[in-house]
Amino acid sequence: MPETSPYHRLASLAAPCTRREFLWRSGGGLGGIALASLLGSEGLLAGEKPSAQAGSTRPNWAGHPALAFPRKARRVVQMFMAGAASHVDMFDYKPALKQHDGRPWDPGEKVELFQDGHGATFASPWQFRPYGQCGKLLSDIVAPLGAVVDELAFVHNLVGKTGVHSQATLLQATGFNLPGFPGMGAWVSYALGSENENLPTFVVLPDLRGFPSNGAKNWDSAFLPAQHQGTIVRVGAPNPIEDLFPPPSGFVTRGGEAAGLRVLRELNQAHALERPGDARLEARIRSYELAARMQLAAPEALDISKEPPAVLARYGIDSSTKQWPKDINAAEEADIFGRKCLAARRLLERGVRFVQIWSGCDNGFPRRNWDSHEDVKRDHEPLALGFARGAAALIQDLKQRGMLEDTLILWTTEFGRMPCAQSGKGRDHNPFCFTNWLCGGGIKGGVSYGPSDEWGYKPADRSKPAQVYDIHATILRLLGLEHTRLTFRHNGIDRRLTDVHGEVIHELLA
Amino acid sequence: MRCRAQSRRVRARSPAGLLAAWTVLALAAGPSGLAADPAQDQSPPPPATTRQVGQPKDSQPTWWSLRPLRRPSIPESDGAGSGLRNPVDAFIRARLRAEGLGPSPEAGRRTLIRRVHFDLLGLPPAPEAVDAFEADPDPRAYEKLVDRLLSSPQYGERWARHWLDVVHYGDTHGYDKDKPRPNAWPYRDYVIRALNQDKPYGRFIQEQIAGDVLFPDTEDGKVALGFIAAGPWDLIGHAEVPESKVDGQIARLLDRDDMVANTFNTFCSLTIQCARCHNHKFDPVTQDDYYRLQAVFAALDRTDLAYDTDRAVGDQRKSLEARKRGAAAARKELEAQITRAGGKELEGLDKQIAEAKKAGKEGARPEFGWHSAIEAAADTVKWVQVDLGEPVAIASVIYVGCHDDFNNIGAGFGFPPRFRIEASDDAGFQKDVTVLEDQTAVDLPNPGVTPRRIEVGGKRARFVRMTATKLATRQNDYIFALAELSVLDADGKNVALGAPVTALDSIEAPPRWGRQNLVDGYYYGLKPKTPPAALAALEDQRRQLVSRVVDAGVVQRLEAAKREAEAATAELAKLPAPKLVYAGAVHYGEGAFAGTGPSGGKPRPIFVLSRGDVRHPGKEVSPGTVPFIPDTPSAFDLPPEGGESARRAALVRWLTDPRNPLTWRSIVNRVWQYHFGRGLVDSPNDFGHMGQQPSHPELLDWLAVEFRDGGQSLKQLHRLLLTSASYRQASTADTGRKPGRRAEVIDADNRLLWRMNRRKLEAEALRDTVLAVAGKLDLTPGGPAFQDFVIDKPDHSPHYEYDRHDPEDAKTHRRSIYRFLVRSQPQPFMTALDCADPSMSVERRCETLSPLQALALLNDKLIVAMSKHFAARVEGMAATPRDRVIAAFRLALARSPTPAEARALASYAKEHGLANACRVILNLNEFSFVD
Repeated sequence: MPETSPYHRLASLAAPCTRREFLWRSGGGLGGIALASLLGSEGLLAGEKPSAQAGSTRPNWAGHPALAFPRKARRVVQMFMAGAASHVDMFDYKPALKQHDGRPWDPGEKVELFQDGHGATFASPWQFRPYGQCGKLLSDIVAPLGAVVDELAFVHNLVGKTGVHSQATLLQATGFNLPGFPGMGAWVSYALGSENENLPTFVVLPDLRGFPSNGAKNWDSAFLPAQHQGTIVRVGAPNPIEDLFPPPSGFVTRGGEAAGLRVLRELNQAHALERPGDARLEARIRSYELAARMQLAAPEALDISKEPPAVLARYGIDSSTKQWPKDINAAEEADIFGRKCLAARRLLERGVRFVQIWSGCDNGFPRRNWDSHEDVKRDHEPLALGFARGAAALIQDLKQRGMLEDTLILWTTEFGRMPCAQSGKGRDHNPFCFTNWLCGGGIKGGVSYGPSDEWGYKPADRSKPAQVYDIHATILRLLGLEHTRLTFRHNGIDRRLTDVHGEVIHELLA
Repeated sequence: MRCRAQSRRVRARSPAGLLAAWTVLALAAGPSGLAADPAQDQSPPPPATTRQVGQPKDSQPTWWSLRPLRRPSIPESDGAGSGLRNPVDAFIRARLRAEGLGPSPEAGRRTLIRRVHFDLLGLPPAPEAVDAFEADPDPRAYEKLVDRLLSSPQYGERWARHWLDVVHYGDTHGYDKDKPRPNAWPYRDYVIRALNQDKPYGRFIQEQIAGDVLFPDTEDGKVALGFIAAGPWDLIGHAEVPESKVDGQIARLLDRDDMVANTFNTFCSLTIQCARCHNHKFDPVTQDDYYRLQAVFAALDRTDLAYDTDRAVGDQRKSLEARKRGAAAARKELEAQITRAGGKELEGLDKQIAEAKKAGKEGARPEFGWHSAIEAAADTVKWVQVDLGEPVAIASVIYVGCHDDFNNIGAGFGFPPRFRIEASDDAGFQKDVTVLEDQTAVDLPNPGVTPRRIEVGGKRARFVRMTATKLATRQNDYIFALAELSVLDADGKNVALGAPVTALDSIEAPPRWGRQNLVDGYYYGLKPKTPPAALAALEDQRRQLVSRVVDAGVVQRLEAAKREAEAATAELAKLPAPKLVYAGAVHYGEGAFAGTGPSGGKPRPIFVLSRGDVRHPGKEVSPGTVPFIPDTPSAFDLPPEGGESARRAALVRWLTDPRNPLTWRSIVNRVWQYHFGRGLVDSPNDFGHMGQQPSHPELLDWLAVEFRDGGQSLKQLHRLLLTSASYRQASTADTGRKPGRRAEVIDADNRLLWRMNRRKLEAEALRDTVLAVAGKLDLTPGGPAFQDFVIDKPDHSPHYEYDRHDPEDAKTHRRSIYRFLVRSQPQPFMTALDCADPSMSVERRCETLSPLQALALLNDKLIVAMSKHFAARVEGMAATPRDRVIAAFRLALARSPTPAEARALASYAKEHGLANACRVILNLNEFSFVD
């Protein structure tokens, strides 16, 4: 078993007997112990023998029911388009919209819209063209994805619960449409632990111009132990991780820092020696050593200055422009998203388990956000061109490095947008139908699953829509986990990422 | 492990659902504390009678938490000299004896005073207090100490934090946009006050659910209702989506769910919310019961509840508001009558009039004026000033309010009710200040967009400043805005035109808002457009049409109703402003978020929803609760027209019924947990089948009965627990001795309390202690929360920017209980230290140790700044590095350093400075852990 980390698997540092106490304290009760079983399971997943130190109080985690399947993917990237990205303008081509463009839109049933934006049928402002061997039709604003479209599997029949941004964002991010539940990355961190103790397991790359709806609730650990919460990494900022380095103070110096940590360690060890049997004291001493290592590892991981210019260009990173235009534009969006994609690759290479990349979050005016009520063309074109460039570059880059086969990528959003126009050029919310795509680790490329109806208004087969639970169940399956058994007991309920739902979409599996 | 695996199997297998789960689980119920050691399993409760849902009279619940409370007898002690201090010890020792274990010796006095200080106050003891306590010859010195701490005002501040964890209190709404909730804090202060006053627990419950009904003449009866509204609120789901839409219904369903769940998790330790979609799988809660509880809260929304502290004023306001509502209703009815009578012709005319009015408005220019940053409190002082370039003999100053339709405010938007205007040659207004107008003593009625003029008489000055001392209300927040500030010289020339404008802060959102708009010579209504002749003609035409289609009496009654509403409004404006608390209350709103107020506060009908889906309502249910008190049906016996308040009163009667099996066990268990580090039941929010069983069931019941029947005094309960020998034990396992070794093997995680548990300080206690030892802690109690962030983009989705906060800002050096809690953007330092998430009920703090936590304690700007202050403080206390280290240790750790510790730190301080040495002390394990 590899050496376990206090950061993610602190408990294993403890003497066997106090490990349990720690787990109790970390908020799990019996469920906590069961869950914590997974904390130590990285070695098991990698096919290694469980630790021999199992005693009567150290449960043997081998054979935990959640570890039910061969693992196809080891790490996950989740790209989240905040504000609700339009499926019918990017991935879900609907000729009917063109045919009926400008004519009243009547799907033959009562339509309840979020902002009552029930205008005429509205053809996508962009052309769709076929790409790859699969011949998938993509719109011009996501054309860069054409180069990797044979790797992508589309799900076109997703349905949400409501058209309210906050609930919808929570639903896609945590599996519940109210706050208080762990983000998917937290569950994955909890289940699989870390591959590099010097970096956080679950990294969030927010849009630095603003958080999405609900902010940190989307990547919270909620009732899972706090070490599983997403750690915000500000790509390009001098202090990319909160408090990684001290602020200018006039008294903290490099030499003083090293000597101070030595004194701290010395005093802490004397203190712990007089208090045997409390594993937390030793673990805390160790956390300072890891902190010092993270101070080296994080800036190195995020330093793109040594990346070849050709790589930077492929990601759309443009360091020559110092001042971007005031209005939203594709080059700036590509630069912003591309930097996060490149950072994601570098973090994944170094063992980060889950990276969540946000696009278009600042829900204000002027919009730099996907919530195109007023003008789809104005917002979607730069945002889509921006994300597609970085996403395509990341997929190609991972493939080149042999990492795509065990890196799973999910592209998602809150919900879709309506086939009809709102205020002429915009589209209202459509929680009744939207698109996700997946790629990499164990996914069958070139697949389009679950067609929507002729308008992209609802799934073609309304009796069997896909839901976020199915996407999450599929992802967990590819990570080797049975989604119904990955549970954590909280307030008397064995909570799951997939609530009481979820079916693996086998059509997506390679 | 075993318990969990079994429950899953049972769930998968139980076709008969609830009943099967109930009985099988009762049999399969797992071990109590010693879960991993099957030899220690308690016998399962007897299967007894099979319990039917709906509770037949003769049945006895089999599950421990639903059995009626009975006072157990106190176990026999093992003779004299056993060291028992009170009955708590008898129960603890009996269980230890049964396992062949014994207690640990009593901790030393220095350990005890530090332990009990953090436990009761969340603050460290002063070195002098430690010395005095150690030297006190009185054998009751410890009891005196406990009494002293219990009467400290800091006790309530410490323990209120525990309560707010459970009720998931926050200062913003959460969800999308996450707007501030500036009137949440009175509830937080209520909790502190109630604890300090040692309010009987039953009364504490009653006030939080139905204080307005049961104690209508008290302030506490109103502010306590903040409990119902403590959790998050989906602003968009309410304010932008009406209840007629599916999304609007879902938002309101989830909102009530939070109210029901908060009530039951908090007071009963029962997770009732599972029953929203189906009958509870493990506990005897049906969907009907659950929706009966939703019916209890069905009239309420989360809203600012206005209340008066003066009863006479309150009565007057009530009657005026009733008059206003009556007039509004009459007006609505009469207008509808006219609309009907006027038919198509009137409809067309109204459309034309609306268009003509709109055309008239378009003449207004978009430069509204200057706008300050937005504040959560009205008493924030703000200023804006113009620089005339050189001293000018000022004849007069003219200033004008803004016009913005935001929140339907219109004329006078942002005009502060209290302010002063001054002139000076000093840009900082520190010297030679002449006051031109002082309106700081009483509120000035809003002048709207009418220019106000001050005659100055030739006083020379270069700068003119307007300072707001009480900000204008915007929505739930406060601002200062002004359209124009003109300074006229003797020739009547506006010398301020285009002059540089500075302000304490300002929102630059061109073209509408900007500093330069203040001196652009334009304000709303500058050249009031006389209504175009066309509009006047249309309005004339309308009057004629109306007089043709309805009786003159209708028109007269309409005019009278308008006058009546105006008169009531004017009377209301004369009353002193009511106080506000964000609470669960009947909401009087308009548009999508109307609430039930406009329809008389009548509860919304509540239906049992198939699978929790608002699109599939089943039968309607009446208010009620779960049938856990024998002979008490789940539906409340209320007259059908009893109104909503009767429902909450009935729920409170049930919650505080002495026969309620959950309420009393729940609270004593919580208090026990905060003292001992773990509850007797280790799932304090869940006493159901998926929760834990008590480690000491008789002790739990004894405490619950004692508490219930002995005045329901929390302070009395604290005293009992804190003065027990069990609490006073040492926390370090003496594994060198045989008993210690045996205990480590049998009960390594100390469920049986053969020693005390070492406590890791929570985020708040740690932050407060850092401020305290640095000599910076401000103990000012109560009031609006301090904000350790800057709000950017307050108009749309506020960004809460912690990195822009200055750690030297003394306003933020108050106790952490007074911190402004943002749901979407948690404070990074506190989050790293595992502070509670205000979006969910936190029954017990998560306790982690991570490199991110180490980084926060090393590098957070607060720690770095306070290290410097800590060093300056001990520099003033002693002369040599060694003595300073001793002083610092005594402040931070309540003890002197060992010679080795003093040597190491003093030599480090000599080389790298005392501030660095102090920073090391704040990072010591001993600083974060309390023995």
